[in-house]
Amino acid sequence: MRGSFRGPSDLPLIGRQVYFEQLSFWLNPIGAAITIGFSVVFIVIFESTSRHSTVGYLAHINLGQYYLPAFVAYGVMAACFNILAITLVNRREMGLLKRLRLSPLPTWMLLAAIFINSMIIALIQIVLVLLVGWIGYGVTGPHDALLFVLVLIVGMLSFTALGVAISTLVPNADSAGPIVSLVFFILVALSGLYFPVKAGSGIATFTDFFPIRHLIVASVDTFNGIPGTSPWNDLLVMAVWGAASIFVSVRRWDWSPKRG
Amino acid sequence: MPAVIVEHLAKSYGDTVAVREVSFEVQKGEVFALLGPNGAGKTTCVEILEGFRARSRGRVETLGVDPADTSTQRWLRARIGVVLQELAIEPYYSVRQVLNRNAGYYPNPRPVEEVIDLIGLGEKADSRIKRLSGGQQRRLDVGLGIIGNPELMFLDEPTTGLDPSGRRETWELIKRLAGEGTTVLLTTHYMDEVEALADRVAVLFGQEIVASGTPDSIGGRDVGAVTIRFRLPEGVSAADLPMDATPADDGHVEIHTEDEVPVLHELTGWALAGGHPLAGLSVVRVSLEDVYLGLTRSGGGPGGDGVAAS
Repeated sequence: MRGSFRGPSDLPLIGRQVYFEQLSFWLNPIGAAITIGFSVVFIVIFESTSRHSTVGYLAHINLGQYYLPAFVAYGVMAACFNILAITLVNRREMGLLKRLRLSPLPTWMLLAAIFINSMIIALIQIVLVLLVGWIGYGVTGPHDALLFVLVLIVGMLSFTALGVAISTLVPNADSAGPIVSLVFFILVALSGLYFPVKAGSGIATFTDFFPIRHLIVASVDTFNGIPGTSPWNDLLVMAVWGAASIFVSVRRWDWSPKRG
Repeated sequence: MPAVIVEHLAKSYGDTVAVREVSFEVQKGEVFALLGPNGAGKTTCVEILEGFRARSRGRVETLGVDPADTSTQRWLRARIGVVLQELAIEPYYSVRQVLNRNAGYYPNPRPVEEVIDLIGLGEKADSRIKRLSGGQQRRLDVGLGIIGNPELMFLDEPTTGLDPSGRRETWELIKRLAGEGTTVLLTTHYMDEVEALADRVAVLFGQEIVASGTPDSIGGRDVGAVTIRFRLPEGVSAADLPMDATPADDGHVEIHTEDEVPVLHELTGWALAGGHPLAGLSVVRVSLEDVYLGLTRSGGGPGGDGVAAS
């Protein structure tokens, strides 16, 4: 019947699209090594230099116990926000999104495959960082595995939405890396990735507005079971940012190059 | 039933008019060219026909369905092939990988190896796309357009940036597709491309169609003035010729006429009788480029008013 599509079924097609997304990622081995290796190299550096320090305001946990979940959170943010946003801008500006939009591949399937690919990259980083911490430095945890996993899942969803939203604000491929990375690396530094930032401090008051600090804090708290802490407020803030990002993305999304 | 129907199409972005009152039809199996300067609205028209962009007004049908209807868009996109104005290919895949990926989107794709042969990239099938030359990448781009075995191809300036041999190869590919019955809607700046490929052409200028017809007849080209040109025989001046002639470069003369048969008869009779060679004799009607320039400078053809779009 005219207008009625008969073709490849959805589930195998989305699996195939994820495969090609992964293939594209690994076919650029330098890019893949930098993406995956960054968090691994940094966790090695930070764990090696922090073995005898403790964090007083966090029940005197070892600093190594702080850095491991913090860098797990970093892996989520780097893959689902930083890399995703840059990838989307580059693909849009190269006309790749437009070309695929004009194919019979449904839009939701194309976007889902891109998001799943980001999450797979995040998962690889999480596993590698955890293995380095557990095996190399004797870090223990997570204390509350279910809550820790929930924090990471909400983080992935929220930062994926944020990555899409910021990609719609970047005008061209040349500025994608500088804009996204500058915002990201300043905020992760101020939010407590490289050094613990005590709640209530000036920096914390500023960075509490953004979801990055909430993912780091919730990840550290649930991984270590810090007494008197709860991740629900952090999850709520991330969810609100995620929802706002979806709103921005839907309004500003464009399949065509902006060439701004 | 025509492959494409466009009636009174208009598209505006706020106060900016991209297309106004455009009407044309493309018959099945036809190669139809949209010719026009930058900003004339060619790409906007094509994007509306592909279902990529919404129209402001008018009626549009692509392969019998409204391309803006989301309920039939997947069906439509399985039957059209698109080559965008600018290259859009992921750099890290190999030729075979990217064709394989896209083939999987379609219900009835062409075999990947057949497409690789068609685009002449057999020796580069396993090469990374980023290692291909610009011309090879453009051919792959066309390959991605035909991988779904389309009934209708949209080619948006498909040979821009190609060297002469790359252009010829792409033309051969398009001719082959047309020969197999694929309908082709082509946008281009190149007159020779239109003459080599198109069955019919429409000229878009000022966001509307100012003329349409076959490449040989558009703008009154088939009935317009003719230039007869040849090198003056040795020892003969222009005044010795049996009709008025204008000196041109390189010792040539030109005779301009609207009725070339009797003029040629008289000229060749004079040459035969006097034993005068007419070296480099040519009879040239107004070129498509002349017609195009006339249309796009004045909005009407060199022979008069623009012809209404069919």
